Amino acid sequence: MGHTTSTTAPVATADFAAPGFGLLLRLKLTLLRNRIGQLVNQSPIKLLLVVVFMTTIWCSLYFVFDLVFRHMRKWEHQSSVAIPYVFHIFFVAMSFLLAFSTAVLIYGALFGRAEPSFLLAAPNRSRNVVAVMFLEAMFFASWSLVLLGMPLMLAIGQSQGHGFWFYATFLLTFLAFVPIPSALGMCVAWAVAMWIPRSAKKATFLAGGISLFAAVLWWGRLWIGRSDDAAEWLRRFMTEMEILRPALLPSTWVTHAIKYSMEGKTADALFYLGVTLSTALFFSWVAINIVGRGLFTAFGRAHAIPVRASASNGRASRWLTDALFFYRPAKVRALILKDVRTFLRDPIQWAQLVILFGLLSLYLAYLPRTRPDGFSLQWKALISFLNYGAVTLILSTFTSRFVFPMISIEGRQMWLVGLWPLSRAKVMWAKFDFALTITAFAALSVTWLSIRALNLPWGLAMIQAGGTLSACVGLCGLAVGLGARIPSYREANTGRIASGLGGTVNLMASIGLVAATVALMGLICSHMAGTETLHRLDRTVMLLYAGQIVLGIGVAVAAMQIGVRSFKTAEF
Amino acid sequence: MSIRIQGVTKCYGRMRAVDNISLEVEPGTVFAFLGPNGAGKTTTIKMLAGLLTPDSGSIEVCGLPMSGDAVEAKSRIAYVPDQPFLYDKLSAREFLRFVGQMYSLDNERIEERSRHYMRRLAIEGFADQLIEGYSHGMKQKTVLAAAMLHEPDVLIVDEPMVGLDPAGMRIVKGLFRDWADSGRAVFMSTHTLDMAEAIADHIAIINQGQIVACGTLNDLKTRAAREHRLEDIFLDLTTEPEEPPETDELAMAR
Repeated sequence: MGHTTSTTAPVATADFAAPGFGLLLRLKLTLLRNRIGQLVNQSPIKLLLVVVFMTTIWCSLYFVFDLVFRHMRKWEHQSSVAIPYVFHIFFVAMSFLLAFSTAVLIYGALFGRAEPSFLLAAPNRSRNVVAVMFLEAMFFASWSLVLLGMPLMLAIGQSQGHGFWFYATFLLTFLAFVPIPSALGMCVAWAVAMWIPRSAKKATFLAGGISLFAAVLWWGRLWIGRSDDAAEWLRRFMTEMEILRPALLPSTWVTHAIKYSMEGKTADALFYLGVTLSTALFFSWVAINIVGRGLFTAFGRAHAIPVRASASNGRASRWLTDALFFYRPAKVRALILKDVRTFLRDPIQWAQLVILFGLLSLYLAYLPRTRPDGFSLQWKALISFLNYGAVTLILSTFTSRFVFPMISIEGRQMWLVGLWPLSRAKVMWAKFDFALTITAFAALSVTWLSIRALNLPWGLAMIQAGGTLSACVGLCGLAVGLGARIPSYREANTGRIASGLGGTVNLMASIGLVAATVALMGLICSHMAGTETLHRLDRTVMLLYAGQIVLGIGVAVAAMQIGVRSFKTAEF
Repeated sequence: MSIRIQGVTKCYGRMRAVDNISLEVEPGTVFAFLGPNGAGKTTTIKMLAGLLTPDSGSIEVCGLPMSGDAVEAKSRIAYVPDQPFLYDKLSAREFLRFVGQMYSLDNERIEERSRHYMRRLAIEGFADQLIEGYSHGMKQKTVLAAAMLHEPDVLIVDEPMVGLDPAGMRIVKGLFRDWADSGRAVFMSTHTLDMAEAIADHIAIINQGQIVACGTLNDLKTRAAREHRLEDIFLDLTTEPEEPPETDELAMAR
């Protein structure tokens, strides 16, 4: 080998200096730069959509926060008590969210198959690998919270007329606070890999789900009470809120720093900022060292134990499929069975539905107890309209994330499905049936709870149920149809398919459909509230209702036709 | 000695994926590590690369222990797994530069060697495109170029021929042979027995976690007492039809 022999002896020597943390950090920055460059050059529309969406969300949040704080300012004394509670709630909630999302991201980054194997087989110090993954996970876990925190900060600053010092303290304490829950999240991820790698996914989603449900249960309990004992309710409410303010919680330090900066007490604010920052540095150092030292053992354990699906799961899913899709031929049922098993064995899919609809169900379960004397007709119309909006929005996120990629994933397996004695149109309709069954079951259950909680008369109840079903039909039809029309056959990751160009178009179309159907529901509810009857369906209501049903079915049929035409002629 | 494995055992729960194996690989040799699916090849290779820690026994590379961080030992090897990892959002040139920096090569040497190996593996034409657009074979060649960039004393390769076309296979065979001839060692696991027969100086066969044969091709033929091809010897040593089929769990664990 001419080249090798011409070079000097191998560069590795006995005193080899391992590459530093900076090299890995530069790698991550290069990846980010290339990703953004590619987005700007190849998908400017996608980038524009992302920017427009983020700006819209950001402005809406700012508008809502500004409205709230300007309203609160009318009562000066009450607002001086209430605003620190807003920060307590915000930072406690942020602690849980950051710890949870960092744990999920770090688990994939350190104990996944590909990148950690590559980095750990190279002469990198494990501590450097952990440190850079920690930074990356913190960045990805916190940017959405920064998006939430900035309008909150600006709204308070504007409404209360605070100056530069308030903004500086808020930003600095915010940034100093982020590593504390993130470090805990990283230690949790490492502990999962060490001791329960077999059920890592289940444990994560279970822990996340339980925490969320506990938070909602607690929050719901605060609002229970009779409408005629406001003073007693307020006393109990403030007592309950005390659990958010223990002196040793970092969220309390951050709140104190911001509160003192608002009051112009610079030294006190700086003290709490210092406490937060030094704790963040100490926690990060400890977490990086613990995980760095135990990385190889945890990595080995995470890769040593295979996951097996139990046979009973297989039987249950077959029984479920046969029962739910009895009207379909056996061949189509076999195809649906595959999707049912994928759904049941992927906690990410069912957990999203269970958590989002579960939270909505909890709120609905509490609803009657907040007003034991019942809701007025106008309130019933308003709340049922809002519930409908929440259900359809959750549905649109689920269909965009999980239903849209189904055809792309199936397209990767066309060597199998393409050879079946089954037309491609039937494959698509089987996907539609499956998605509709899952979403309609979840959405109609929640709608039924809403009807019960509000004790809705049959007229509005029927409209709610029918409207929900038509939204399910429309959203599933859109997701399956557009999934076939704008597929990503080269991509195996469903998350990436959903966030690609096709996924973005589908999300936009779904939000458009939700906006239209929610607007129609708004007109129906407003009309019924105006005529002071929720059980009589007059001509206007029937017309609007028919429009809602036709909209859902029409969108589904049109999208499915476009999708089937495209899928029939697709080449793989 | 380039590689010394002494009495290494690795268990997954109650299963022994690798059972008390010992091997030595001398500099200047191509060492083929053969075995049926689930025999323990990948577990052995991952322990050699420092990704898994043996439950008992020891592993040394170029006289340096391979355990934990083992930065010194890892600087002397390169590891190409059966499903190699590449950063999709880097170009081949950027990836090679990053790998060179990980092994503390100076920029001049990185440029010189990148050009050399990219030319030799025929990937120069797409060196500035993002890796996400590469075919499987192009990715495999990029990984091999990256593995050779710091000219390691020991090249550890798991299934090197997957995804390569015949021309690519010939190039890789030539590279491995040259590598060994320049005084370094190649440790490769493969199911491509023709390749092992053509270029390997030493062959070890692992079955159910244990080494069932080890030596030169001629040693194995002598042991088989017949003038067989390697494929016949391999099947003789690893096929046990009367045994019950291995459980999925064991196969996955290995």
